[in-house]
Order: sequence, then C-alpha cells, then structure tokens
Amino acid sequence: MFAPLALQGRLAVAALVAVLLVLPLVWHDTYVLHLIILSMVFGAFAVAWNFTTGYAGLKTFGHHAFFGIGAYFSALISKNFEITPWLTTPAAGLVAAAAGLVVALPVLRIRSVPHVAMVTLGFAEIVRVLLTVFRETTRGEMGLWGIPAYDGFTIPGLGEVVFNAAEKVPYYYLAAFLFLGSVYAVVRMVKSPVGLALVAIRDSQDAAESLGINLTRYKLLAFATSAFLVGLLGAFYAHYILLLTPSSVLGLDLMILVIGMTLIGGVGTLFGPILGAFVMTIGVEAMRGIGEYRMLIYGALIVAVVMFMPRGLVALLDGLGPRFGFGRGVRMATADDAKTG
Amino acid sequence: MTTSEDILAVEGIGIRFGGLVAVNDVSFTVRRGEVFGLLGPNGAGKTTLFHLIAGALRPTTGRIRFEGRDVTGMRPDQRSRLGIARTFQITQPFAELTVEENVMAAALVRHRSLAEMRHAAGPYVDMVGLAHKRHELAKSLSTGQRKRLELARAMATGPRLLLLDEVTGGVDQASIPGLIDLVDRLRETGVTLILVEHNMRVIMRLSNRMMFLNRGEKLAEGTPEAISSHPDVVNLYLGQPHA
Ligand SMILES: Nc1ncnc2c1ncn2[C@@H]1O[C@H](COP(=O)(O)OP(=O)(O)OP(=O)(O)O)[C@@H](O)[C@H]1O
Ligand SMILES: [Mg+2]
Repeated sequence: MFAPLALQGRLAVAALVAVLLVLPLVWHDTYVLHLIILSMVFGAFAVAWNFTTGYAGLKTFGHHAFFGIGAYFSALISKNFEITPWLTTPAAGLVAAAAGLVVALPVLRIRSVPHVAMVTLGFAEIVRVLLTVFRETTRGEMGLWGIPAYDGFTIPGLGEVVFNAAEKVPYYYLAAFLFLGSVYAVVRMVKSPVGLALVAIRDSQDAAESLGINLTRYKLLAFATSAFLVGLLGAFYAHYILLLTPSSVLGLDLMILVIGMTLIGGVGTLFGPILGAFVMTIGVEAMRGIGEYRMLIYGALIVAVVMFMPRGLVALLDGLGPRFGFGRGVRMATADDAKTG
Repeated sequence: MTTSEDILAVEGIGIRFGGLVAVNDVSFTVRRGEVFGLLGPNGAGKTTLFHLIAGALRPTTGRIRFEGRDVTGMRPDQRSRLGIARTFQITQPFAELTVEENVMAAALVRHRSLAEMRHAAGPYVDMVGLAHKRHELAKSLSTGQRKRLELARAMATGPRLLLLDEVTGGVDQASIPGLIDLVDRLRETGVTLILVEHNMRVIMRLSNRMMFLNRGEKLAEGTPEAISSHPDVVNLYLGQPHA
C-alpha cells in the first residue's frame, strides 16, 4: 500500500479530476451541481472518517460532532460578529480539531471498541443537546438562518464571482477545492511514515509500542487531522445551505449515512469512501419520490454489501484489472485476524 | 551489586493480578553480551516478567534498571528507544502490512522517509531468511515465519537487550533447527539476549547462565549445568513430560 499508484491509476485519477473540474462548465443544471456538491462534501467526510477508523483503527461513531461544531461555529461567529466566512471556515476547522483532541484523550485510554463507540457517540449527543438548549443563540430546532454566504470577488478577465443559491458554480468549485484538498491531505498522510505507524498501531498496538512507536502521539495526530477536515466541511455546508438545525448537522443519521457510504464503497481503502459517497448521495436523492422508504432501501443496501461484498464496491473496480490499484489498500483487520494461524 | 558490566538489573520486582501473585519479589542481573535463559513450568510468570521488563505491565513492587538507568516508570516505546526489544510468545505481526513494511515500522523511530526505512529494513529481512517473502502480507506467513518476522522487527530497532519469548514455541519440528541457528547468529551480533524456552536441550546449549522460575518466584540461578541438576528444577520441571 505504500507503493505509488501505477501509471494507469494515475491517469485514471487525472481523468476523474478533469471531469470533475470541467463538468459545471458544460452541464448547467443547478440540481445536478447541487448533488455533486453534496457528494463531494460527504465524500470528503467519509474519507476523513475512514482515516481514523479504517486506517488508524480508532473506531469512532461520533464524527458528526465535528461537522456540527464546524458548521455552528462558523455560522454563529460570521453572523454575530460580522466576520467573513472566508476566515471563520478555517477557524472552524481548528476549533473542531481542538474538540477532537479533547475527545481523543479519554478515547485513547479505552481499548474496547464498543466503549470507544459509546464515548464518541455520547460526545456528539452532548453537543447536539447543548445546541438545542441554548436556543437564544442557536434557535435550536427552529433553525439558525441568516447565515452569511461567502463574499464574492472579481477575477480579472473572468468577471465577478458571486456565492448565492441560484449560482451554484462558485460553490461547486469551492466544494471541489475542499474535496480534492481533503483527499490529497489524507492520501499524503496514509502513504507517509505516519500512515505506516497508524496501520501498525491498528494491527497490533502492543507490537507497535514495543518498536518505539508513541501510540498517543500518532492517534492524536490522526484524530485531530480528521476532525479538522470534517469541521472545515461542516463550515462550508453551513455557508452553502444557509440553514442549520442541530438534528440536520448533528443527528445520528448523518453519521450513519457516512458510515454507510464508507462500508458500501470499501472501508480502509482510499477510493472506496468517495465512490460510496457519490453512489449514495445521488442514489438517495433519486429515491426521494418514495419518501421515508428510501432509508429502508439504504439500510438494506448496506446489509447486502456487507454480507455479499465485504470489500465494498471498490471490489468491482478490480474487475477493470488490478493495474488500477483502486481497490488495493488496507482492509479492516481485527486483533483476532492477527492472532490466528 | 550492580556493576557497569550489568546491562539489566531487576530488583525485587513483583506484580499481582487481583488475588494472583504472578511474579513475586524477583531479583537478578544480566551481564552485557551474555545469553540469559529463563526456565519454568507453564504459568510460572516468564511472559509476565518480559512484560515487566519491556514496560507492557507496571510492577506492583520493585525496580528495573537498564544500563544503570531506572526505567520502571517508562512506557514500552520509551524503553524501546533506549535499546530494549522483544518478541511475543503469541506472535503479533502487522497482519495487513507486507513483511518488508513490518520491519520498516521498526525503523520508523530512527529514519525520516519511507525510502530510508525500506533501505534500513532490507538487511534484517535478509538476515532472518524472509527475503523471498518480502512483499507478502504478514498474515500469509506460517508460525515459524512469523517468529522470524518478529526477530527481524526487533533487531531493526537496534537493541542492546533482546527478550525472546519461546522462539520455537508452536513451531513445527522441521522449522526449529533453523530458528535456533538464527538465535545463535543474533548472539554473534553482540546483543544481550534473555531467552524463554521450554526445550531444555536448546536453552542449555544457548545460555551462559540461567534462572528457574516457579509460581512467580525465583528458585534457582546459575550455569546451565547447575540449573539442570538443581533438585527443585529436577522435581518441578524435568519430571514433567515437556522437558
Ligand atoms: N493479564 C493477566 N491477568 C490475570 N492473570 C494473568 C495475566 N497475565 C498472566 N496471568 C497469569 O499469571 C501467571 C503467569 O503467566 P505467564 O503468562 O507469565 O506464564 P508463563 O511462565 O509465560 O507461562 P507459559 O510457559 O505457559 O507461557 C499465570 O497464572 C497467568 O494465568
Ligand atoms: Mg509465556
């Protein structure tokens, strides 16, 4: 997994990026652009979550807390203090990273997976309840609105760039920047000594520690990086959708959606969560006509993939020939796997 | 009693798990460059003693000095960086990493780039005879190969003290001589070894000095000859079928 992608793989990635960047210039359908913007936001979210869970082996189920913290922080600060979202968005990433460190400290002391799941989930619930309770500031479930959009600017020669609901293209490119930037950051980390240390820790903490690897330092780094990216995405989401409720950005269904995307696409692979996010975001939208039943279909799909295609949809890409290497990567391994044989 | 010849000094070490005293007031010293054999029946506390020396467990009583320095309160990764390495009785490979990547992980602390780590790992992969498995995932290895992998990883940290917990344990008969030769060659690198080994012939041949542990207590210490003829050892250990 630490070998670079083969040439065909690089070309395929370049082609996909090119399609992503050219698409809004040729396809002006705002609804389609909206779906791709959401796919990119959730795709990056899934990649960031997969980084802690699939690679670092920190099985957290409360990452939506960082999305909500980023969203509300950026929305409230920009709205109430009239600070441009261009500044509050990166600040929201930092605040989420700080929150990530606060949660990670107790989590790192726990070795039991169910307990880690409960602590992280509990943290997200606390944040959600707090945002609901302080309704003078957040308006609770009534919804926080009046969130400023990103300020427009002029690109010499191209004209004015305006961020508003009707004009999706600037949002599209900002989302693409965040998406590609997040994926690039995670890929660089995974394919670096940090990635080697994290996978080693995931496969055997005791062995990794016996080789001089400082468990706490690497786990905190993974957690904070992931929380930073998710907080950034949450802030973008706030200034894009312009309406926040605690249940929309901090509900458990958001986390389940992201977990589902990762499982369906392929956990512990680089490309899987992205594939899962696009398939699911667009798929769930396509099923909008059938109302609440779509979550049922969604759930059934997760179960089906987990049972019949445990490696996820990326396994299908192997059919294109192993030379692409998209499906390659590290699957979830458990301590038991390591002990057998 | 500690001299500069001593690389490790264990002083009155003890640990209890609830009501069970797994290691009780054990003291011994290991001299630089020697092979120190640790013998004892199942459940005697040998692995627990390794956990205490490597830092995976904190003792309830006593102190551990490595090269004159008190390491009792240090974490395993800190002790590793000081020069204490170990293998595990139940092997702990990084299952989803290749053999080479497993050994690269041991070079993480001392090198900056993956290329440097790969370069540093190479000789250790070769030394343990896994060159042909370099790019195989560790989970595909046999038990004997996993033991070799752990030796390569441990050596790649550049240790001055190496704790080997049953290198031949659970390994098929045909693979045992090769592993013993390998331990012999490790000894020639000058690293100090502490061996846990159930095979009496093997441990007698490899060790300079030995210690016999029973129910967490040290019952005897001395040359391999003295230990093998010690009445307690004969009663408690050599009378048993696995000797
Ligand atoms: N984490 C633990 N919690 C409770 N009891 C433990 C723990 N680890 C070891 N023990 C107990 O401590 C005693 C010593 O175990 P240890 O594994 O050190 O023995 P050993 O000499 O290595 O035996 P073997 O030859 O079977 O490997 C045993 O009775 C064991 O059941
Ligand atoms: Mg043991």
